[in-house]
Amino acid sequence: MIADYLDRLAGALSFDRSLARRVREEIEGHLQDAAAADPTADRLEAERRAIAQCGDPRAIAAEFAVIALARRSRRLGIGVLVAIAGVLLAMKARVAWYGALQWALCDDVKPLAAVVGSIDAYAFLASVIVAVVGSVYVSGCAIPSRLHPEYCRQLRRFRQLCTVATGALVLSVISDAVLTIIRLLATDASPAFFVPIVSLAFEIAAAGLLIAVIRDLAQRTNSTATLQRT
Amino acid sequence: MLKGHLDMIVLAALSAGPAHGYAVIEEIRRKSGEAFDLPEGTIYPALHRLEQAGLLSSRWVTAPSGRRRRVYALTRRGSRALIEHRAVWQQFSEAIGGLLAGARPQGSPA
Repeated sequence: MIADYLDRLAGALSFDRSLARRVREEIEGHLQDAAAADPTADRLEAERRAIAQCGDPRAIAAEFAVIALARRSRRLGIGVLVAIAGVLLAMKARVAWYGALQWALCDDVKPLAAVVGSIDAYAFLASVIVAVVGSVYVSGCAIPSRLHPEYCRQLRRFRQLCTVATGALVLSVISDAVLTIIRLLATDASPAFFVPIVSLAFEIAAAGLLIAVIRDLAQRTNSTATLQRT
Repeated sequence: MLKGHLDMIVLAALSAGPAHGYAVIEEIRRKSGEAFDLPEGTIYPALHRLEQAGLLSSRWVTAPSGRRRRVYALTRRGSRALIEHRAVWQQFSEAIGGLLAGARPQGSPA
């Protein structure tokens, strides 16, 4: 009887497997203790009472869903900053590589490179500022027991901040791509292209991953709201 | 109403020392003179939420029976939060007490 209840609980918590494992183990211990402490000699009846006292597994899962959502949001806040730091490192590695190989730009593309470089720098700076604001904002939001409208609004504002930070980062990465192409087109193809291409691929992957995680958070917010309504 | 104060109740139950979920529920029952009879499953989301907020810490402990238990303890932040909750509650309780003591039954002559 307890195993069946725990299976239903773990099923309702399937949105987060590690959380489901931990909660299952905690509540299994709880139910065993409660059944053992029950004065009745009938073990099945004691288990039935312990389960009834524990409550509906879907209601328990709905409360955990809000906590999981809050945890993901906070992780995303840090993730955006980590992704930005990764992009910065890739950028710096590429520039250091150009310096080491003494790859200079042709004079005729220098004005274009200067404009794109400015866009790159301002977009990157904007992404850092907005990401820091978003991360501080979400870490200051108290975790409620239910997904009430005010918390939904806070999460929506946080997602908007993440979207703006990621948008600015994407613009910065596009600028980096343009600058890299300008530089590579002016040079004969060689194995030395490997570092700029790999670093650029890393930047694109970091920005793409952020977009996917922000979309995932939006979907999880909706599924948490659905879980609370049922 | 009880649900609105669940965080404070859980923090208060853990003020005596670290405990696992079932022991927290037992402590709440004992300290409240059996007055609080919550659906027991709701304690666990509250414990996780308080841990996420940095008010509790937790670790697995293996009992003599061999069963693993997640044991929760107040953090320094949790202890401070409990002190604040107590002060607010005290103020609220005195205010309501004063209000009810001065209230006249409805319909009685002025």
